[in-house]
Amino acid sequence: MLQNIFFGLSLGAVYSLIAVGFALVFNILKFSNFSHGGVMSFTAYAGYFAYIWLFNGRIEGILMFVAVVFTAAVVGAITAVAIERVGFRRLRRNQSPVIYYFISSITLGILLENIITIFASSNFYSYPVFFSSKNIELFGTSFSVADFVTLIFSAVALAALLFVLYRTKLGLGIRTVSFDVNTASLMGIDANRVVMATFAMSGALGGISGVFLGMNYSLYPQLGQLVVKGFVASVIGGLGNITGAVIGALLLGIVEVGLIGMVGSGLMPAFVFVIMLVFLLVRPQGIAGKIVQEKA
Amino acid sequence: MDYIYSILTLTGITMIGVMGTFMVTGLTGQFSFGQAAFMAVGGYVSAMLTLKFNLPFPVVALVGSAAAMLTGLLVGLPTVRLRRDYISLVTFGFGEAIISVLNNSAQLTGGAEGLVGIPKRVDLALVAASVACCLFLVACYKNSKYGRQCLALRTDELAARSMGIDVNRLKLVTFLFASAITGYAGALYAFYAQYLEPGYFNWTVSAEWLIIVFVGGINSLTGAMVSAVILTSLPELLRFASAWRILIYCIIVLLIINFRPNGIFGDWEINRLWKKSKPVKGEKA
Amino acid sequence: MNASSSLGLLQAAGLCKAFGGVKAVEDFSFEAKPGEIVGIIGPNGAGKTTAFNLVTGVYTPDSGSVVLDGVELAGWRQDSIAREGIGRTFQNIRLFKGLSVLENVMTASDPYASYNFFSAILSMPGKRAADRQAAEKAREYLNLVGLSGMEDARPESLPYGLQRKLELARALAIRPKVILLDEPAAGLNPSEVREFIDLVKRLHERFNFTIVFIEHRMEVVMNLSHKLFVMSFGKLLASGEPEEVRRNPEVIEAYIGEEE
Repeated sequence: MLQNIFFGLSLGAVYSLIAVGFALVFNILKFSNFSHGGVMSFTAYAGYFAYIWLFNGRIEGILMFVAVVFTAAVVGAITAVAIERVGFRRLRRNQSPVIYYFISSITLGILLENIITIFASSNFYSYPVFFSSKNIELFGTSFSVADFVTLIFSAVALAALLFVLYRTKLGLGIRTVSFDVNTASLMGIDANRVVMATFAMSGALGGISGVFLGMNYSLYPQLGQLVVKGFVASVIGGLGNITGAVIGALLLGIVEVGLIGMVGSGLMPAFVFVIMLVFLLVRPQGIAGKIVQEKA
Repeated sequence: MDYIYSILTLTGITMIGVMGTFMVTGLTGQFSFGQAAFMAVGGYVSAMLTLKFNLPFPVVALVGSAAAMLTGLLVGLPTVRLRRDYISLVTFGFGEAIISVLNNSAQLTGGAEGLVGIPKRVDLALVAASVACCLFLVACYKNSKYGRQCLALRTDELAARSMGIDVNRLKLVTFLFASAITGYAGALYAFYAQYLEPGYFNWTVSAEWLIIVFVGGINSLTGAMVSAVILTSLPELLRFASAWRILIYCIIVLLIINFRPNGIFGDWEINRLWKKSKPVKGEKA
Repeated sequence: MNASSSLGLLQAAGLCKAFGGVKAVEDFSFEAKPGEIVGIIGPNGAGKTTAFNLVTGVYTPDSGSVVLDGVELAGWRQDSIAREGIGRTFQNIRLFKGLSVLENVMTASDPYASYNFFSAILSMPGKRAADRQAAEKAREYLNLVGLSGMEDARPESLPYGLQRKLELARALAIRPKVILLDEPAAGLNPSEVREFIDLVKRLHERFNFTIVFIEHRMEVVMNLSHKLFVMSFGKLLASGEPEEVRRNPEVIEAYIGEEE
């Protein structure tokens, strides 16, 4: 039981990284960023190739893991910033309707996925086992080291994010712009810079979650489609609400682990969908949120 | 010849699927990200009915469309009253859910191996006739009070409501109509290909339809149809590998979105050719 | 179609609305008798537009009532309130950009079009007749506001003044008993303002509906209104005949206070 909850929490921690990365961009540009999945796929591969080309044989164990995660985060940040430049900068300048942001993000997501398909899908890649000792004994139950590390890393990443959001000038800028981009610009905030920083942070989180997903599953171009878990967590938690996203993701992780025991993993997407539907019917504003109204 | 015949047939079926996407996205501005799942419902329901009860095609096609519409109700009912973002998330989740159910009910649907032994009941002529019929229905819809109100709510939901338009109901009606049409495309596909597998209906298909609608211009049914024909058949004829094809699509879309946001056709419709056309004042080219 | 003068009694009482901790409208009441032209004035940020949004159902009031001809509308959906007979225009013009000028007006009368889904998708004769009638009617409204000949134009290509008129025509098409105009003369030049005043008077004579409007321009306020309500900080500050309100020291102070 305890073991399952722990496993659920660690799964939920990965989901929360996805959900928060998604929520960050939603918060600031008010649209669902489907390219986030593409970033995750891309960084999962980037982390893997960094391991093969850069670090293999030089470092190992936890150090190797940190190096891979760090590389993936950096690549994720760069990719997301590039996405913002190519896909959204001009749209923002033209004040295009939300519908265009959507199409742009979908297109970029598919683009990334297909680039990987073209260049990497012919081979089967899989992350090495970073942690040799499988389990830690604690409170009379054994926990897997990988889960433990996942949980800790996610917590650290989220803490760092919250620190930036609530304790730095940049974070203040982000929160201001997400409140009202026009007013923020009037107050002398460089909206482009803030949006770019947000994408970088979102991409870094996407990169970290990409590595975790790559470790849990093998590497395949469609890996990033697990971003749907982040969407669901966001809906459960309240669209665009960071705390809500984390709570929703942890809940989702625990519920999933419980459900796998009962219905198996195959039907999971169906159950996740039903959970989301129930939430939308009963509490559309999510656990934490108030309904974000479309701008009148 | 067979090859061309099959490309034409599949293009026709895609056109019908694209009509569904056009209605949901082009008319009401909602993002259907799981439109292909309705195709799956239509296809599987009609195929299974024939395999189990040996019912004729027109009956099962009708039931298949109705089933797609019912699932549309399940998805649409909770989402139409929410922000537009939700419908994309929910339809996305719905698509995944349908595929997982299909994959995991092997006794009924053949699971991941696919559903085999569907009799061939659909040929190019039937598909062509279906395209014509569906196009007529959708064009009439667009050209009626429903279509007008849809376009109104797409540009300004608040103003639409204050003109007395029941926005939620209209979104739902349009969504259901689109689901039914897409379901019919599924039935056509099932009885043409004689084989169904869940992987054929995943979200990339839905995304491809969205891209097609978008390239043609979200305001133009004509544009959506022309772009469906070109984007489906041309790469096939040129024998592009599918990943490269999609890569090229993506680049086209990114160019269009940044430099010609109304798509290739803008809001031009083919019936302007025979409508008495007055020069329109001040319209942008 | 011509509303008889006994219809169009709009009574709003005790309206309250808070956003977060900010009380945008607090215990605001006003009344417009059938066929009356009523102005709501007040400094910027006084809550006038919010009051309109409460009456039309964009926001649900926290408390208070909105009664039209004896029917309680508070808590109703926006579209139901519109169909009950309250039309409106917007401060920042909100036309349907994807539609032509004619279609913009037709859309407003579409909720009354009698054909159903199936005659729509089959383009049955009944549908076509109904659409022809709606187009006819819409042309009439466009003609009334002086927009005939521009049916096929795009609303966004019209000059600002004409866009205001188009909004008015669109509001007419819902066959309102009461029409709410939110700063209808904002952005118009002096000659357009005079023209606009005449237009509103003409429409009022013809349809005899009740008009409630928000306006800053004294020329419009004094020329049109039979009665004035003054809002300040979300509350009703004063009400009465225009001349009487204009002399009210509290009102003068509210306005002067704003200019500091």
